[in-house]
Amino acid sequence: MARDTNSLNRRDVLKASGAAGVAGLAGLAGCTQDGNGGGNGGGNGGGDGEDYPSLGNFPIEGDTATFGFNVPTSGPYSSEGEDELRAYKLAVKHLNNGGGWVDDFGDLSGDGVLGYEIDFVEGDTATDADTARESASRMVQRDNVIMFSGGSSSATAIAQQGLAQSQKVLFMCCLTHSNDTTGKDCVRYSFREMFNAYMTGQALAPVVTGEYGDDLSFYQLYADYSWGQTQQESMKQFFEEAGWSQVDSVATPLGESDYQSYLSEAANSGAEALFLNHYGLDGANSLQQAIEAGLDQNMEIVMPLYNRPMAQAAGGAIEGIFGTIAWDSQIDNEPSNSFTQFFGDEYNGRVPSGPAQLAYAQTLQYAAAAERAGTFYPPEVIRQLEDYEYDNIGMGQETMRKCDHQAQRDIPVVRGLPESEQGQGQFFELVNVTSRDDVGYACDEGPAAECELGEYGDE
Amino acid sequence: MSLFADLLGVFLNGLQAGAIYILVAMGLSIILGTLKFVNFAHGALYLIGAYAGLLIANEVRLSNGLLQQYGYETVGLDLGFLAALILVPVFVFVIGLLMERYLARAFYDRPDIDQILVTFGLAIIAQEAFRVLFGGQSINFARPGWARGPVMLPAIGNFPRWRLAVIAITAVLVLLVYLLVEYTDFGLIVRAGTRDPEMVELLGIKLTRPYIVMFAIGAALAGVAGVVGAPLENVNPSIGMETLVPAFLVVVIGGVGSIRGAVVGGVLVGMVYAILVGAPLASIPVIGGAISWSAWSQVGIYALAALILLLRPEGLFGSEEVS
Repeated sequence: MARDTNSLNRRDVLKASGAAGVAGLAGLAGCTQDGNGGGNGGGNGGGDGEDYPSLGNFPIEGDTATFGFNVPTSGPYSSEGEDELRAYKLAVKHLNNGGGWVDDFGDLSGDGVLGYEIDFVEGDTATDADTARESASRMVQRDNVIMFSGGSSSATAIAQQGLAQSQKVLFMCCLTHSNDTTGKDCVRYSFREMFNAYMTGQALAPVVTGEYGDDLSFYQLYADYSWGQTQQESMKQFFEEAGWSQVDSVATPLGESDYQSYLSEAANSGAEALFLNHYGLDGANSLQQAIEAGLDQNMEIVMPLYNRPMAQAAGGAIEGIFGTIAWDSQIDNEPSNSFTQFFGDEYNGRVPSGPAQLAYAQTLQYAAAAERAGTFYPPEVIRQLEDYEYDNIGMGQETMRKCDHQAQRDIPVVRGLPESEQGQGQFFELVNVTSRDDVGYACDEGPAAECELGEYGDE
Repeated sequence: MSLFADLLGVFLNGLQAGAIYILVAMGLSIILGTLKFVNFAHGALYLIGAYAGLLIANEVRLSNGLLQQYGYETVGLDLGFLAALILVPVFVFVIGLLMERYLARAFYDRPDIDQILVTFGLAIIAQEAFRVLFGGQSINFARPGWARGPVMLPAIGNFPRWRLAVIAITAVLVLLVYLLVEYTDFGLIVRAGTRDPEMVELLGIKLTRPYIVMFAIGAALAGVAGVVGAPLENVNPSIGMETLVPAFLVVVIGGVGSIRGAVVGGVLVGMVYAILVGAPLASIPVIGGAISWSAWSQVGIYALAALILLLRPEGLFGSEEVS
């Protein structure tokens, strides 16, 4: 459905002639080079086996490279998933036809990747790790994807990256914020642009303690799975280091819709602040219900990780509530402004969310790395991504660190706007963009301390 | 805070958590008890009630789905919550009539498994239809203006005003249905038909009409539950299925066909949930770490159902003849 069929081109001719064989393709590609760079990949880019051995879904058969986009279109994180999907589709369109950031990424041509037209398949993780793994497995085994991406719920991302390592197919994490994604299950075949809970703690603690004082007691509710668990651990660590003290920390099931009983307990705990470590629809529900129950009259409420769809669902409840976000359209630099512009042009004026920016960026980062490598051969693409320095996705100067595949980047700290000031796509006041120099950790400390990445596959 | 205030708080939380289950389970139980029809589409009626209520009460901005793609950026009548509370039961009542006449009736004499399959299929179709039309995203159902924010209760402190309203609305509806079934000729015929349909027909009373009305009343109750319950959370296509399972548990606990059973079952389920979340058991240290009991609140509901089924297989208020 994503294939662009606007014009008859070299690939269509190849298809029509039935030249599906890789060797034939290589020969024809050589004959039909037309100076636009499109012909460079038919042989070497896809990998005809001359330069690199078969590995995972490499070499690609045919003249189309397929990406897999595995996001939740059902379950509590479905709003995030649907915005990710919009961005993925846009990325594929731009990779094939030019436009968007593709025109500014020096490594990309706008004529597919390595001469291959990009197609994609999509899957629904249902915000569930097992479903995500099954869906990703189908993409790898049946659809022969050369790369897959997705997220929303770290549990799904962690499940998918485990599959990626074993199948030797690259996984570009999208929305996953658990420390464990790059701090426990460290996988060579996975890269994460999103920051993690540890970094959120580092970015949030100075701002929040500066606002509310440095000796408050706090109570935590957290979603009971990988993300929520590491999220509340990091909040405890950094706020206690800043002088606050934890009264209690209570788990809630993922997908819970009624938090009233949990919130009553929090209100009765005597704590002066409440952290709601919930995300997506769960976050919108818990924050809204906390405000409905009047908790904000006696406690300071903090929502450590926000995004735009959940703020939209929570409405006026976000007023004055601090948190961090992956990216926001208010960040004023060239890549951010152009992303907001072309995403809106494509989708009827819609303002893109942080998860959408992650999805778009991660797809292009993979494609650019393949172009730099000159091949889809996974170990070479991985080496191109490792320790890569970039500043072209709207979050300033970044490094995709080699030791744990965790991007070192700035973190936006925001505060929710009152309902009366919320405009279309505008839900936060940008309080601070915390520099990457003030967050993060060395390769032998924090979540990276346990990291030993898996094999490249060509050892 | 005193123990009394703690208990009072847990009681109120349990009551409000159970209120929606009571409304859904009451209709389910009536249909199952009188018509012996296993209606897995009952959650879909809740879903229809929620969306219908949302669209009658509010004006909704769509960011997804087929309607939005066809240019309907905003939908909804914006008539307010009371209009929804009146119109939705009527609307879902009619859906119930149609469902009984054109679907359920053909399956009365067929095995339970056939009924389950066809109604479950219907529920999935309804869920996916809403997803296609309105998108998968959650839509905020604004609480009515008069019931926003907290109210200060003695001993307990702040409590959401809307949740008190939910308890009150549920109590009124339960009373109305109870009076209808226990103290009217219509109720008498339905109850007699449940016990011995042949004898009732021999007396010259045709059961078809009371049955179809009873089915529609059950459906309307699910619709009302949707309107009342939806402002507690955000509306999305999955909420029908999420409501169905606890509602069935309430029916199992309370006993099939019993209004009293639905009420007691609903309150019990709500209480178990509130106690497990709020009890001082939370984070009891055990060997090798601490267990957070709050995350086990769902398990507690199933354990309660299993325990009651062991002790009393027909449920607390169910009679063996009926079940």
